[in-house]
Amino acid sequence: MDERIERLLPTVQKPARYTGGELNQVMKDKNAVDIRYAFCFPDSYEIGMSHLGIKILYAIANERPDTWCERVFAPWPDMEQKMREQGIPLYALESGDPIKDFDFIGFTLQYELCYTNVLNMLDLAGLPVRAADRKGLAPIVMGGGPCACNPEPIADYFDLFSLGEGEEVNSEIMDLYAVHKKRGSTKEEFLREAAKIPGVYVPSLYDITYNADGTVQAITPKETAPAVVTKRIIRDLDKVYYPKTFVVPFIDVVHDRVTHEIFRGCIRGCRFCQACFLNRPIREKSPETINEQCKGLVEATGYDEISLCSLSSSDYTHIEELLNLLLDWTPKEQVNVALPSLRVDNFSDELLQKLKSVRRSGLTFAPEAGTQRMRDVINKNVTEEEMLETANIAFAGGYSAVKLYFMLGLPTETDEDVAAIGTLAKKVVDAYYQNPDKPKGRGVNVGVSASSFVPKPFTPFQWEPQATPEELEHKQRHLKETLPSRKINVSFHDIKTSFLEGVFARGDRRLCAVVEEAWRRGCKFDSWGEYYRYDTWMEVFSDLGLDPAFYANRRRSYEETLPWDHISYGVPKKFLMRESEKAKRAETTANCREKCAGCGANKLNGGHCDV
Amino acid sequence: MYEARLWLSKRGRIRFVSHLDMFRLMTRAVRRAHIPLWYTEGFNPHPYLSFLLALSLGVEGEREPIDIRIVDDAFPMENIAPSLNAVLPEGLVVEAVTSPVMKPAVITWGEYEVTYDKAEIPAEDLTRALESGALETEKSGKSGGRKIMKKVGVSEHIRSWSLSETPDRLLLTVVLPAGSVLNLNPQQLTDAVNAYLGTCAVVLRAVRIRLLDANGAEFR
Repeated sequence: MDERIERLLPTVQKPARYTGGELNQVMKDKNAVDIRYAFCFPDSYEIGMSHLGIKILYAIANERPDTWCERVFAPWPDMEQKMREQGIPLYALESGDPIKDFDFIGFTLQYELCYTNVLNMLDLAGLPVRAADRKGLAPIVMGGGPCACNPEPIADYFDLFSLGEGEEVNSEIMDLYAVHKKRGSTKEEFLREAAKIPGVYVPSLYDITYNADGTVQAITPKETAPAVVTKRIIRDLDKVYYPKTFVVPFIDVVHDRVTHEIFRGCIRGCRFCQACFLNRPIREKSPETINEQCKGLVEATGYDEISLCSLSSSDYTHIEELLNLLLDWTPKEQVNVALPSLRVDNFSDELLQKLKSVRRSGLTFAPEAGTQRMRDVINKNVTEEEMLETANIAFAGGYSAVKLYFMLGLPTETDEDVAAIGTLAKKVVDAYYQNPDKPKGRGVNVGVSASSFVPKPFTPFQWEPQATPEELEHKQRHLKETLPSRKINVSFHDIKTSFLEGVFARGDRRLCAVVEEAWRRGCKFDSWGEYYRYDTWMEVFSDLGLDPAFYANRRRSYEETLPWDHISYGVPKKFLMRESEKAKRAETTANCREKCAGCGANKLNGGHCDV
Repeated sequence: MYEARLWLSKRGRIRFVSHLDMFRLMTRAVRRAHIPLWYTEGFNPHPYLSFLLALSLGVEGEREPIDIRIVDDAFPMENIAPSLNAVLPEGLVVEAVTSPVMKPAVITWGEYEVTYDKAEIPAEDLTRALESGALETEKSGKSGGRKIMKKVGVSEHIRSWSLSETPDRLLLTVVLPAGSVLNLNPQQLTDAVNAYLGTCAVVLRAVRIRLLDANGAEFR
């Protein structure tokens, strides 16, 4: 490690974020590899080290003998300030080498409010932030993750984006790069070829023109670029590589455990949910594979907790079989199994009994809306009876804390819908006190968490206006004022944060200038309340002559060219329009297992879908 | 069931891992090494593992004692170190495993080796400070329920010290209070020296060499 870094580490908070050296990190001889890969997470170490995707892609890249992939996180502002004072560039944790000279700098883009951190990290590395100003072949700056589905607001800073699941396409990109590096190609030559790889989007190969009213006129591909880039998927989750080890952090991170993904996609089709529409079609992993891989990971890491993750764990068709396999060995090894993301409508007594034998925490349900009409609009096919029934099972099983997630600002929402959130929560409180089997001598604790709905690309609500900050303030106040019980604790998401998220989620390429200017004026770590500078952002919009409400609060017509129309996640616009129309009529769509709705995503998997 | 005392060295970048995080790290390591450790009983059992004395963040250690209990008498003590060393991250080594001889409470002193840059603090200045008898530092404490900064004498608590030099470095070997009654670490000593001299010398490296009992005998 650079001696200058060693000298400043004792003066910063949590220095173990910056040392590397954790158990299972991959060390290689830098002279024996052709490709140096910096895998960057544009947020703090604790957030980044909790992310499963980085663990998978890190392991896959390091399986290649020609590649050394290392981890990089956004230094916390105290560390960044000292690095800048001392002239220490951003370095990779494993080797301590500056990432400026690496072949690839890959960012995973998990949420819109990390964009300024991306620019800040490139700058801290000593690189020009704009792709056009980085002239050489290396480093290739690439992006992936959910925000890559509409990467236009940061398109100018990236050389390419990898759309969809990265396990296979990343390797194809590296293979191609290895050839071009040997050949001494220019970056442009490499990118022209990379654009031919399915799932690779090279933003510099598309011209965007705008209408007088500010909407997109046309998106025109150049040279080798396809008119539409379609996301990649992994066809068989049992055969795809899964890491044999995880890097085990020294410090306490958000999710510090073995995480295992049990299936991809979701059968539910809630109309607000981007993850549901981005991750189709359904593909399940077999319980045997999951069990074996979990065993290996516990052995390799020493973790005492396994978390099974997916968008809706109780929809996994082999859930009981899997729990039986896991509970066969985990108790005697003192390992806990956690099962987040459960649905309220298929949460059985048997499942609860199984969960009870592992560690018990609070229960979380997501009704999302207070009235049945509102839940029908968003296609959250859960009824009040089902919810209360599940709550009763849980209370009888010894739970006394329930957290309920709702959204405010959903399309067609009225004040009655908002007030009904409190009514529903009150019914849960009442159910507890009426339950003869409730835990003795304990009061109930019902928490209501109300976030603000943000319309996202590739969902049936992609054309909807987001509720304005003023409207959301009214809704929050109304919910608070109509709350029927003091046993209910309500918490809200920050409205100003949701607003910016809404702007960038459906933004176009002109917003690149806004991101850069906001970053130049000091914005970073925007998802952290203590660093979010809303007023600075608004000044930047105003100075650059762009109206944030144009992006967040405007209703788009079906005919309008959307900034992400050249990108496909397998579900055609036609289907989304049909769902959007049904939403307006408060009509539901059955879940995929009851009846295939014909979303078309199975075409990505040769017509197959694991419903 | 038998008791064993591990002697752990902690060198290099892992010195930035805090005491609390060390506990979690060692817990995971004994699980991976399949050492039949005794688990605490109760609602949330966890392996019993006792670090006898915390090591300050950033300080390296040559022989840090950790007490454990092995439930399986058939598991030989000589197997503990190799099994653990196979799974510990870079910088941590179990140097030896012994049966505990002394009680943890007898630990009174810690012997440290502290490295400074001569450009930041010349040998004669450091000597003058250490010989002054007037070194003191501030510690946060409470008075009538309120938080206050208390002056704590340093000079009178230094058991012994000696100084050696390389062309550009100063090497201070010093015995400071360590244990349940009073603790002073190399950073606090350095703060006191800096305050006395008006310098801003940085601790380049600090290593705890060993622990001693009240009479200055090595803790075993």
